[in-house]
Order: sequence, then C-alpha cells, then structure tokens
Amino acid sequence: MTMGHVTELLSAYLDERVGADERARIVAHLDACESCRAHLESLRRTVALLHTAEPVRAPEGFRAQVRARIDAQPRRAPRTLRLPRWIGSWRTAGAVVAVVLIGLFTVNLLREQFPSVARRDREPQGSVPAPLPPSASVDRAARAPELSAPQAGGFPVPGRVGAPPIPAPYSPGEPALRRVIRTASVMLEVGDLDETASRLTRIAEVAGGFIADSSYAQAGSTPEGTFVLRVPAPRFADVLSQVESLGHVQQRHISGQDVTEEYVDLQARVRNLERYEQRLLALVDRAAKVSDLLEIEQELARVRGEIEMLTGRARYLDRQVDLAMIQVSARQQTTQSGGFWDFSGTLTKIQTAFLLTIRQLLRAAEAMVVALSALVPVLALAGIVWLVIRRIRARAQA
Amino acid sequence: MTEGTARVSEEADLIASSVAGDSDAYDRLVGRYQDRVYQVAYRITGNHEDAWDAAQETFLHAFRSLPRFRGASAFSTWVHRIATNAALDMIRRRPPQPPVSLEGVTVSTGDDPAEAATRSELQRRIHRAIISLPTEQRVVVVLRDVQGLSYDEIAAALRIPPGTVRSRLSRGRESLRQQLADLAPAAES
Repeated sequence: MTMGHVTELLSAYLDERVGADERARIVAHLDACESCRAHLESLRRTVALLHTAEPVRAPEGFRAQVRARIDAQPRRAPRTLRLPRWIGSWRTAGAVVAVVLIGLFTVNLLREQFPSVARRDREPQGSVPAPLPPSASVDRAARAPELSAPQAGGFPVPGRVGAPPIPAPYSPGEPALRRVIRTASVMLEVGDLDETASRLTRIAEVAGGFIADSSYAQAGSTPEGTFVLRVPAPRFADVLSQVESLGHVQQRHISGQDVTEEYVDLQARVRNLERYEQRLLALVDRAAKVSDLLEIEQELARVRGEIEMLTGRARYLDRQVDLAMIQVSARQQTTQSGGFWDFSGTLTKIQTAFLLTIRQLLRAAEAMVVALSALVPVLALAGIVWLVIRRIRARAQA
Repeated sequence: MTEGTARVSEEADLIASSVAGDSDAYDRLVGRYQDRVYQVAYRITGNHEDAWDAAQETFLHAFRSLPRFRGASAFSTWVHRIATNAALDMIRRRPPQPPVSLEGVTVSTGDDPAEAATRSELQRRIHRAIISLPTEQRVVVVLRDVQGLSYDEIAAALRIPPGTVRSRLSRGRESLRQQLADLAPAAES
C-alpha cells in the first residue's frame, strides 16, 4: 500500500462504519487521490453486484422433512445426556487440571487442619494441654513418656511430643507426682565388645549412675555381653540415646511401670499403722495388769514390724523410680573370616530393599486413595460450578 | 413499524409455543426462516447437498436449544449463528467439494432467454467467487452482503468483535472486487 492510501478502510466507509477521524481522513484523501476514488467506485459496484445474487430458496420438501424429524424426536429429550461440544477442548482440559490442582491444595490443607482437630476432640474434657512440665519434681515422671511414646510406638507422631499421655497436672490431691519405674532393654550390634563395655561404664558414671551387673559370654564365634545400667531417672532418655549410639540397634524395648497407686497405698497403710501404734503406746500407760502389758507389747512389736516392712517396700520403690534401668545386650558384629563374601548379608539386604519398595508402593497407593476420597467434595463443587457455567453459557447463546 | 412489532410479538408467541412442544408453531417458524437459513448454508458450503444437511441440522438444533433461547439477541441473529456453525461444521466434516454445481438454484428467469443465460452465467460467477474466499471472510461476506445483517448482528452471531467483522469483510470484498472486476461495470447499468 502506498503512503496515505485508504483502500483498506473503503469497505467500512461504504457501510458508514468508520469513526469521525477516519471519515475526515478518507474524505480528504478521496478528494486528492484519483486511484482511491476509482477503487471506491469499483468496490461499491462489487457490493452492488453481490446484492444482485439471486436469493436461494429452500428446496421443495425441506420444511416437511424438518417437521417430520421434529415430530420423530422424543419430547423433551434428556439434554444432559449429550455433552456439549466444548467438552474435550483445550480450555476444558485446562479447567480440569486447575480443578485437580486446587483439589490437591485443599487435600493438603485438610490434612493439616484435621488431625489437630480430631486429636483435640479426643482429649479428656477439662484437661489443659500441658506443653511444659510444671515443676522439677513432677518432671521426673512427666518427661519419661515424652520420650518413650514415640519410640515405643515405632513412628513419631508430630504434635504429640509436647503433650504427654499422662497429663502433668493430673490430680492436685495427695500423690503430687507420679512414680514410674522406667526400664529399657536394648540389643546392640557393636564393633568391639571390650570397648563397648568400657564406654558403657563411662556413660553410666558420667550420668551419675553405675553398672549394676555385667556378664560376658562367648557363644560360637560371636562374643556377647550383657550389662545392666542404673542411672538417675531424669537422665534416662539422655543415657539411652548415648547407649544406642554405640552400635547398631537391633531391638529395643522401653517400658514404664506406674507404681503411684501402690506407693500411695503403702503410705496410707503406714500412716494407719502409726496411728494404731500411738494408741497402743497410750494403752501401755494405762495397763493395770502385767498380762495386758505383755499383750500390748506383743501387738506393738507386730505393728512395728509391719511398718518396717511397708516403709522398706516404699524405699525400694523410691529407689527403683529414682534409678532407671537400662539393660544392654551387646553382640560383636560377625566378621566372616571364612570367605570374602557375606552371602546371608546380601540376602538380608535384598530382602530389606524388596520390603522397602513394597512398603513405599503401598504408602503411595494409600496416599492416592486418601487424596481421591478427599477430592470427592471438591469434585461435587466442581460439578455444581460446571452446571452453573453451562447455564450461563446457554443463556449467553440465547 | 407497527407491522414490525406485531411480527416480532407474533414470533415471540411462536417461540413460546414451540418451547411448550407445539410442533405446528415451530413449523411456522421454520417456514419463516427456511429460505434465509438455507441460503446461508448454501453460500457457505457451496453445494446443495451439504446445504440441505446443514440447514436441516440448524432447525433440529434450534428446536432442541429453544428452551435456552432467552431473547438476549434477536431470534434471527440466533438462528443465523446456528446456521453458520452448522455450515462450518459441514465444511469441516467434508472439506473439498471442488465442482460447484448450480443446478437447482431457483433462478427467476426473465422473458428473454438470452438475458436469462447471461443472468445465469453471472450468478455462477458470483457464487464461485464467494466460494473461493477463505472460510472466515466468506462467512462475513455472506452474512453482510448476501443476508444483509448489520456489523453488530454479525459480531453477535459469530461472537467476534465488530472490528474483526470490519477487517474480514474488507479483505473479502477486496478479493471479490479483483475477481469480479470485469463484471462490475455491467452490474452498474
């Protein structure tokens, strides 16, 4: 196109579909430009020629066929069965992807929201979640489950660590603290047994405890040792992790025996007996006959013996509670001297890898099922949105 | 004007009755629009066979969609939209049909046989020229210069901006001008 020519605007000019500015420009140009004037004339004739195109009429029988086909149609055909044409378009695919992404996002949100809600529901009424052990005296009992719960269960439960299953401010009455005897037994595979023995001793001593028992045996080619560590209960978790760092943990068992009730019972019985003792002592002063006196003395001796026994038991419990017990069975690693290839070791590795893969697959499948079920409400929502959009589109079409 | 409004309100009645399932009413609507629909189909597809199918499809589709027609645009625009889409669908399904047959075109014959022959030849040239246009331009030219729709009606029927209608029409007409240059002066007389 040469400069200034307005040929591409002439069609719209003919139909008076140009703006005021354009119109002024075209008129001015047409005044000056002969070729554009000729072009406009030629275009006008072409359009006029098109208008002379004979009107094409619908052939005979056309209307009748429409009528026949309409009449053949089932009344109120179920429209929903026929999917609209735009299903399967790129736009729809994009929308589907978007919905799926939003769904996944929602699933994640739900996953974050719901466990905490569910757990809060399950907690007993009125118990305040106690993230902090209230005092040092209770600490001894409260801290232990904090460690053992996740470990004994085999899997960590996030969010539970801070909330011990035994709520710390449990009963404000007589037993101000719970008395739990903590024991753990660990089976270790270690490099060198002698070194392990000396290190265990050091660990126990540093923690303020001692080795209560140790034994050593050589069964076949693998030397084995059993050690019983007694350490102050507050150091239990600490020591346990130190011990486990010495070798490869093959087995671990942790238990806590709650002896609070027994302890309280003991105390109550001692108190009762002491009161009884006081009454007996009072009777001694008033005893008139020697035979009575003897009888009372006998009873006193029995009561005192019982008190001794019960306080002894209480002291024993105290000791057990104060000093936690960790039993360590250490076995030296089998160093196959016979061959250069540890066949059973390889088998074990294969087995482990196999099981690991299966577990991962199962976990993935589980995650997928969970995600799908969480998607159900989202899909329902998407369905509603789809229906609404369809209606709006239909309205726009009409 | 009053006649026009009466016609529109009568048409609204026909539509309402059709929606209610009155096939007589719909038949009358078909009678009113069949020529225009058929012409759109014919000019876009280029042959009677496809035009027949496309036009039939248009009326069946319109009947099914009628409950969703709410009068946002004129019924005529709505029908044009459906007809255009049906014709384009037909083209897409059976793309090239090179030989353009004009048999059966209802041509109003004049008294003079020689003049009739010329007219027939003229019609053939025009039709062939329209068919030769790229689909996009052809549709706009047919709706504007054959059917006489306004720019805005075309924009509504095709769901494209009026500016696009303007540019496509301009290009289509320019192409036709070049093809029919020798005929144009004759048509002027």
